[in-house]
Amino acid sequence: MEINMLQAFLIATWVWLVQSRVFFGGATVTLRFSPLMTGLVSGIIMGDVTQAMIITAGLQMIYMGTFAPGGSMPSEPSIATAIAVPAAIGSGLDPAAAFAIALPIGILGSYLQQIRFVINTFVVHMTDTAAEKLNFRNLMIHANITPVVIAWILHVPVIFAALYLGVPQITAAIETLEGTPAIHVLEVIAGGLPAIGIAVTIYVIGKKQYLVFFLLAYFMSVIFSDLGITMVTWAILGTLLAAIFVMTKDSKQEPAIAVANSSAIPVASGDDNDF
Amino acid sequence: MKQKVNTEVKNLQPEELTRRDAYIAWIRWWFCNTIPQSVERFLAPALTWALVPILRKLYKDDEMLKSALKRQMLFFNTQLTFGGIIVGLMASMEKERARQEVNGEEITMTDDLIYNTKAGLMGALAGVGDAIDSGTIQFILIAIFLPFATEGAAIGALGPFLAFAGYQFLIGFYFTKLGFEMGDKATTVVSGPMMTKVIELLSILGLFMMGILGANFVRVNSTLEVYLGNENYFNLQETLDRILPGLLPLAVIMGLYFYFVKKGMKITTAMGFLAIVLGVLGFIGIL
Repeated sequence: MEINMLQAFLIATWVWLVQSRVFFGGATVTLRFSPLMTGLVSGIIMGDVTQAMIITAGLQMIYMGTFAPGGSMPSEPSIATAIAVPAAIGSGLDPAAAFAIALPIGILGSYLQQIRFVINTFVVHMTDTAAEKLNFRNLMIHANITPVVIAWILHVPVIFAALYLGVPQITAAIETLEGTPAIHVLEVIAGGLPAIGIAVTIYVIGKKQYLVFFLLAYFMSVIFSDLGITMVTWAILGTLLAAIFVMTKDSKQEPAIAVANSSAIPVASGDDNDF
Repeated sequence: MKQKVNTEVKNLQPEELTRRDAYIAWIRWWFCNTIPQSVERFLAPALTWALVPILRKLYKDDEMLKSALKRQMLFFNTQLTFGGIIVGLMASMEKERARQEVNGEEITMTDDLIYNTKAGLMGALAGVGDAIDSGTIQFILIAIFLPFATEGAAIGALGPFLAFAGYQFLIGFYFTKLGFEMGDKATTVVSGPMMTKVIELLSILGLFMMGILGANFVRVNSTLEVYLGNENYFNLQETLDRILPGLLPLAVIMGLYFYFVKKGMKITTAMGFLAIVLGVLGFIGIL
């Protein structure tokens, strides 16, 4: 896909807003961990929201379960998506191929975040000085603005260059693969890679004993696939199932007398049933 | 002479802290959060900046204010929403410290106590918070909206973003209030039976949704068809479907899961291995 300077600049700016963590502060948590919003914004800027969302959905399936416990992650999905989606739009790229682009870029992008954390150490010392002098204006600036400026310098030029110079190259390279068995192979891989995201999320949630609920949901979905049950319906079913389970588990631990006492049917005490 | 001393003491008296002060601290912490993150102090600047209005209300003496700021600038790393408990808790502890310091009482709310409480809690709350918020709730929301994304609709991205960001912003008020009003008893709520049940329910729901997603979005099927002669075909996929529908995708997911259990979460390795296996099988025509 063709990409002009303005588009490259705007997408780079979005990535900066996310990676500097300034876009409504805490709201950036999911902007950083999930490809979805970056894919949407890239789609809007490139002028093809539908294609962008389809590709991003595929990327999200693979990145499912990815987050940064403790603040660091090996790969930054936002940066990866910002490059892969523009490259994939218009060349009819498979999510697998899009991901092939995304993966190395995501890893490189994580280095940007690490560098940011190191440079911010100097900013922290400036914040200390501001605190010692009770200079609250400077404290505010060094806590909120200085790191954001540094993040701009780190992210925008690099991502702009990667987009403006790199995207046309990547698109051309993919187009030469058209018609070869490579496309079928990429499709097969694209179909299977989402399994990674699912396996990661199951692993991350832990609680091996609840694997049965995963299996139950899986088979229910396969069996009832023709019914067209929506995700929200499944979510409601899942919540009810989970609630029933948690409640039942709980009542098993209550002594029987307590359960009987809370029953609606009055139990006549001292009654002897002679049969 | 006596009157002058009284007014001096009066001017240094800490102002009353209200719930509104705690809520403003939450909003500041929510916004600043990881902006100043550094390897040396992580999120300490955000916590300090969040508490500045409260500390200025409490400490009218410059030296006391400086030392309060200094002790909040020490290393601090925790999760966004559950960390709100610590924000509220720090406000509550500093309030007591201010009272002791200004009135010349014995300082039981020492620098060490304040920091050790903070340090003890930040790890645990980070673990719980990350697991619940980013690790479970975020993905449940993404799963619900994913079908819209695969159809090309923008709501597939906007839905999870607004829902999750909104949820985190709002629940933080509750956690900050908890830390502010209950002091260190706030942790008993977080580790209590109610929270355990909530975590259990969310985990089950998360796994459930992963099952739904797995069935809908993992596409592994065989294209292998062998002509046996006499108009007979052996179709691998049909045969597998007669044994157990959805067998192949499930096998891939479970295979990966047990790989992670045995060898740890080596995602890149698993990805490479999977890509190679799928690629080869796809190339030779089995898949």
